[in-house]
Amino acid sequence: MPRAAEISVNEREFILQGLKENIRLDGRPFDAFRSLELNFGDEHGVADVQLGKTRVIARVSAEVTAPFVDRKFDGIFNISTEFSPMASPAFEIGRPTEAENILSRILEKAIRRSGALDTESLCIIAGLKCFSLRADLHVLDHDGGLIDASCIAVIAALQHFRRPDVAVEGENATIFSIREREPIPLSILHHPICVTFSYYNAGGIMLVDANLAEEQVREGEVVITMNRHGEVCQIAKYGGVSVDALALLNCTSVALEKVKDITKFIQRRLEEDAKKRDVGGLIAELSAENAR
Amino acid sequence: MAPVQAQVLLSPAELSYLHSSLSLNPPIRPDGRSPTQFRPLVAESDILPGANGSARVCFADGTEAIVGVKAEVEKSQWRPTPQKESADVEMDDEQEEEPGVGENSWVEMSIEIPGFRDDDPLPVFLSAMLTEALLASGDLKDRLYINRRFHWKLYVDILLISPPLAYPLPLLSLTTHLALLSARLPALKSERDEDPLFDDDWEASTPIYPRSGRQKPYSAYLDKPPVTLLVMAVGQNIIFDPSKEELAVAEAVMAISCAASQSQTAEAVRLLSIRTIDPPSRLTPPGIPNLLNSATGGVAPVSSTDAMAQREAMSLLGVWTPPRGGIKRNLVGRVLKMVVEKGGVAEEVLEALEKIEVES
Amino acid sequence: MPLDTSTYALALLRLDGRRWNELRRIHAQISTQAAADGSSYLEMGNTQVICTVTGPAEGRNTGAGRSGGKEGEANLEVEIGFAGFSGVDRKRRGKGDKRTAEMAHTLSTAFSSLILMHLYPHSTISIHINILSQDGSILAACINAATLALVDAGVPMTDYLVACTAASSPTTSTSAGSDDVSDPLLDLNAMEEQELPFLTLATVGGGEKITVLVMETRVRVERIEGMLAVGIEGCKRVKDILDGVVRGFGV
Repeated sequence: MPRAAEISVNEREFILQGLKENIRLDGRPFDAFRSLELNFGDEHGVADVQLGKTRVIARVSAEVTAPFVDRKFDGIFNISTEFSPMASPAFEIGRPTEAENILSRILEKAIRRSGALDTESLCIIAGLKCFSLRADLHVLDHDGGLIDASCIAVIAALQHFRRPDVAVEGENATIFSIREREPIPLSILHHPICVTFSYYNAGGIMLVDANLAEEQVREGEVVITMNRHGEVCQIAKYGGVSVDALALLNCTSVALEKVKDITKFIQRRLEEDAKKRDVGGLIAELSAENAR
Repeated sequence: MAPVQAQVLLSPAELSYLHSSLSLNPPIRPDGRSPTQFRPLVAESDILPGANGSARVCFADGTEAIVGVKAEVEKSQWRPTPQKESADVEMDDEQEEEPGVGENSWVEMSIEIPGFRDDDPLPVFLSAMLTEALLASGDLKDRLYINRRFHWKLYVDILLISPPLAYPLPLLSLTTHLALLSARLPALKSERDEDPLFDDDWEASTPIYPRSGRQKPYSAYLDKPPVTLLVMAVGQNIIFDPSKEELAVAEAVMAISCAASQSQTAEAVRLLSIRTIDPPSRLTPPGIPNLLNSATGGVAPVSSTDAMAQREAMSLLGVWTPPRGGIKRNLVGRVLKMVVEKGGVAEEVLEALEKIEVES
Repeated sequence: MPLDTSTYALALLRLDGRRWNELRRIHAQISTQAAADGSSYLEMGNTQVICTVTGPAEGRNTGAGRSGGKEGEANLEVEIGFAGFSGVDRKRRGKGDKRTAEMAHTLSTAFSSLILMHLYPHSTISIHINILSQDGSILAACINAATLALVDAGVPMTDYLVACTAASSPTTSTSAGSDDVSDPLLDLNAMEEQELPFLTLATVGGGEKITVLVMETRVRVERIEGMLAVGIEGCKRVKDILDGVVRGFGV
């Protein structure tokens, strides 16, 4: 099994010394995210997130299936993650690393369990038919902050996705293709965003959005998922250095700020994308004119 | 015929010493027990609040097992003529009223052993052995019958908490026995083929293995779950509950399952199943006698077949030769007699287990 | 919510009759198994956990020199198993279950920072936990049981790691008329865990500093402070109980 290259002692000392002098390797302030970029694909439901050098693509797709027997009124929503060896030599297909397990658990808790997606709206006929929604997450480049980037990608992709419209008559459901009827957006109840804090110097120094090198030398981390309404969806601190309770509370307020910024950013990008798509609406598509 | 796991690393000299002391008459066991003596154990039953029945047993060598028995109501599969199957004529011919006939699939057993996967041969073999004894012993599965549409499904989950230091069969069997003894099912309130409805009062529940009259000395353990004993033979000696070291020199190992007989007249123990187990002693390397060792002035054999032939010819005391061949028939007979006879080992074990249950 | 909150507001008693800051009965034993280097048995109410520790010992060599963790440090392996009979319904949880993997990851990272790992280079310490009965606060019970078993095994640690759960009940004590938005509760059982937002936290030696904090349910940010405060207080008490168990064994 391949292993990630471990950071050298010199690098470790250098980064830690820098942090003690209030300097981050890339010159960012301690509580700043790297530059965030968000692009959408030609299809609905594809989001490409770049957080510094980390790059993650999420793709949402839907199909019609029978719902689970014990959840007749709910649709199905799954998030699957894949770490490709392209992102980091430590990743291997088909053998999930611990990091991958943790990432998918956190996304599951942050997005699925917190009820971000209204799964009841995915139901077509109770007990018979429902939409099965699937978010595939591909990590293309790994430079730290995977959880944060992945969460942004999935949330953006869900907001961007349009599901086909359906009409129900008794037992029959008609599913209209995109050309027949305008597809409809998903009903999303809130937008959880993850913010990872890394601790150094026995909990004395706290960084937001550490990159890979910083992640390798950190002593502990806490992942806080919040939405912009000030609700905490999930907190995960799996050990590491012990931190004062007040410092953790402080984290939540920093996280709230970041979450508000990021949510606003996603919203802006979505609007820009919508504007770009909506050149002439259906009319433009129906016109016989061809671009020659 | 699953091989006994966990090879002990003993030298040919040690094996030979063990073998010869065990084949003495009476045999001298490394821990000073008599041939029919079991290892001391600590046992408690009914320890889990969430299970129908449970037990925990610790052997003195540190191995520990926990068994939980859980029963769930399950819909029966519709069968054409459920009452008149020719396969189960034994007991329900005379009573026409309520004789529910159980199926083998109503009892499910799983064994977890640390360091083994669920589909490794050891857990699979052990659970097959214990299940077959459980199903063979009388009417357990028939008692799981509720009505024509529903039945209890009995899950027996066996956890070995410690690493399998010795062959875990006796430990697991004793623990399962105790757990089943303590298992209770809630009392049925509904009638006939209605959807089953049960009494909330746990006090009203009935044990799966009902305790019949305690007055008579022997009937106390009548109709009890089976126990599986591990027996090994060295020479003419029959040794019960062998430890790991003793197993390493066994010439034959057998697992014998038995339960108390149901007929009131002969209060003997009934044999349910026997399995031979491949002893690990077959895999040990043989000792080299001085005659065949060039370092001690002997003549080393030219080829391996030659070595085999020469060693076959002499039977030197004090040189370890791995056993070959099977078990002699009269030995099997003697073992069975020791187990099953009145006042035999099985009776002793069942009585001892009954006491644990009474005290707890 | 099906949880009968009305009686709580009236009598300030929970479903099982406890007050808001009351722990369930904690019963623990150490050295329960002779074969293991360290072992413990822990009950928190109806949650029952058995833990055994092996090591520090030479690790199983699984391929390219991964036996000894990082260079000059011991490797900590944690295995958690849910017994089929532990829940209300009989269910077998496979080895690949993500929730179990997450719990094992939590334990191994939490204890790695507590055990003096540098004393045992190229060795492995393995913790095996069997959950025999589930009734809430399972992660907390696992952490407490592992602490006891590690103490029993004589593995050097800086201090105890103790854990408990805390929740925030929506029932505002209207009678008191205080401006509190929520009532915190300590040490949840399975029913309360299903109804209320809760968090599991572990502190080192029952102090103020938090090592593990896991929360899986959505809750207003203002309520977290109260939950943390109650949880830290609870951990202090758990520490005293566990300490009593260890000292009682030594007598």
